[in-house]
Amino acid sequence: MKKALEITLGIVTSIGGFLEVGSLSTAVQAGAKFRFQLLWAIALGTICIIFLVEMAGRFAAVSRHTIPDAIRERFGFGFFLIPLTVTLLVNFLVMGAEIGGVCIALQLLTGISFQWWALPVAFAAWLMMWKGTFGVIEQGVSALGLVTLCFVVAALMLHPAWTDVGKGFLPTLPGHDRASYWFIAVSILGASITPYLFFFYSSGAIEDKWDESYLPVNRVVAGLGMSFGGTIAMAALIVAALVFLPRGVTEINSYDQVSVMLTPVFGHWGFVLFAASLGIACFGATLEIGLEQAYLIAQGFGWNWGENLKPKDDPGFALVYTIMIFLSSLLMLVGIDPLKLTLFSMALTAASLPVTVVPFLFLMNDERYVGQHRNGIIGNAVVLFIIALAFVLAVVSLPLEIIGGSS
Amino acid sequence: MNLIRDVLDSQLVDSNNQKMGKVDGLVMQLREGEQPRVTFIEVGSITLARRVSARLGLWVARLNERLGGARHREPFRIPWSKVAITGVDVTVGVDAEETPVKDWQRWLRRNVIGRIPGA
Repeated sequence: MKKALEITLGIVTSIGGFLEVGSLSTAVQAGAKFRFQLLWAIALGTICIIFLVEMAGRFAAVSRHTIPDAIRERFGFGFFLIPLTVTLLVNFLVMGAEIGGVCIALQLLTGISFQWWALPVAFAAWLMMWKGTFGVIEQGVSALGLVTLCFVVAALMLHPAWTDVGKGFLPTLPGHDRASYWFIAVSILGASITPYLFFFYSSGAIEDKWDESYLPVNRVVAGLGMSFGGTIAMAALIVAALVFLPRGVTEINSYDQVSVMLTPVFGHWGFVLFAASLGIACFGATLEIGLEQAYLIAQGFGWNWGENLKPKDDPGFALVYTIMIFLSSLLMLVGIDPLKLTLFSMALTAASLPVTVVPFLFLMNDERYVGQHRNGIIGNAVVLFIIALAFVLAVVSLPLEIIGGSS
Repeated sequence: MNLIRDVLDSQLVDSNNQKMGKVDGLVMQLREGEQPRVTFIEVGSITLARRVSARLGLWVARLNERLGGARHREPFRIPWSKVAITGVDVTVGVDAEETPVKDWQRWLRRNVIGRIPGA
């Protein structure tokens, strides 16, 4: 009975936690510009994150280690500095984009420019971490995140031609805007396969004191939860394709354009639903990344850590998330364009994947950590293939995008 | 037991079951005509910095001394006799709160974190 409840909670959490600023804006860009043609990228990214989340949960449950903790132990401090630095930097940018998403939602609702919201949003997120427990953050915010299901409802109500949708799952070469096609594909992969997501998940498994009896729960939560999450991102792409393309909008340059994507279906409420989805999803992601930054450092250096402890019992941990939230909010305060920052940081995430995922795969094949629960050949192959693809695409398309100006 | 594999960089837990950092370094003694033996484990930023480069180690040691006084000039050492390998973690028979290892966290608690309402 307890396990059934946990499965439900876990799936709710993943659905509510999957869609954030990255998945949403990359999916919308893809739909507006290339109709259903990039659905394959969301599918591929979702498959990869299913495998990685399952592995992260299995790793934590069997080895009782978190991932950063084990990477340092297995590969030594010198090596650990590489994934540590890269992840902190990428998370810094991604958290800036997530805070930006909340600010934009508030701008849409109030008309007050997003820059003014940067510090209040950062403060609200900080307060949640300061006072909240892990359960409150994980379940409360994610349950609210179910509002993002409105994209699925909208996609169904727009009656897409399902055979055309189906064709989008087979990768095809673009007929126009080649550079932009690959850049969006990379951003989608980066938005789906976010290291903070599965790192966070493994810390959660330790916070919730998982053991080997949780392996079936873990499998179901990873598989169903991430699939549902991916479905919401796909729905956002389908809605964008059906709403923007017929109206001649093929370039999405700002969130103002995106904000009306649900109005053809829901009328004025569509606007409110969009703002609520964006705001809630991004606020949840801000909390997760803020905590993940603190987990990463505390676990890597062996400090006391835990969202269920009072700040005075883990002062180092509390200090890290306080500083990190403040730093990331500066990106919005100085007025960096949230949409551009989002796309850029998602592509950068894709480029950084090998640094975190490859050492993690080594751990997943190491009997000393996971014993008989080692990875099978399929898991290894699928993850390696998708990570390699994301990395190559990122390395090729990021410079092109920077030179060509992000238009 | 394999020192590098099972001990170095493992989580360190004190006698009150509190996390007190990682095994950042190992100190060995070479003896004429006898087997070398492990004498201490080291904990703290100086040891970590030395593992990156000798010069960085010097800088961090100087910085630590300026901030924390003579007690922080050298890395903190725990005699091997107080070390027990307990599964995943390394347990030591000392109280972390009485060592210099947690000085900065104590300072932080007293002067920064503890002063913010709700801590």
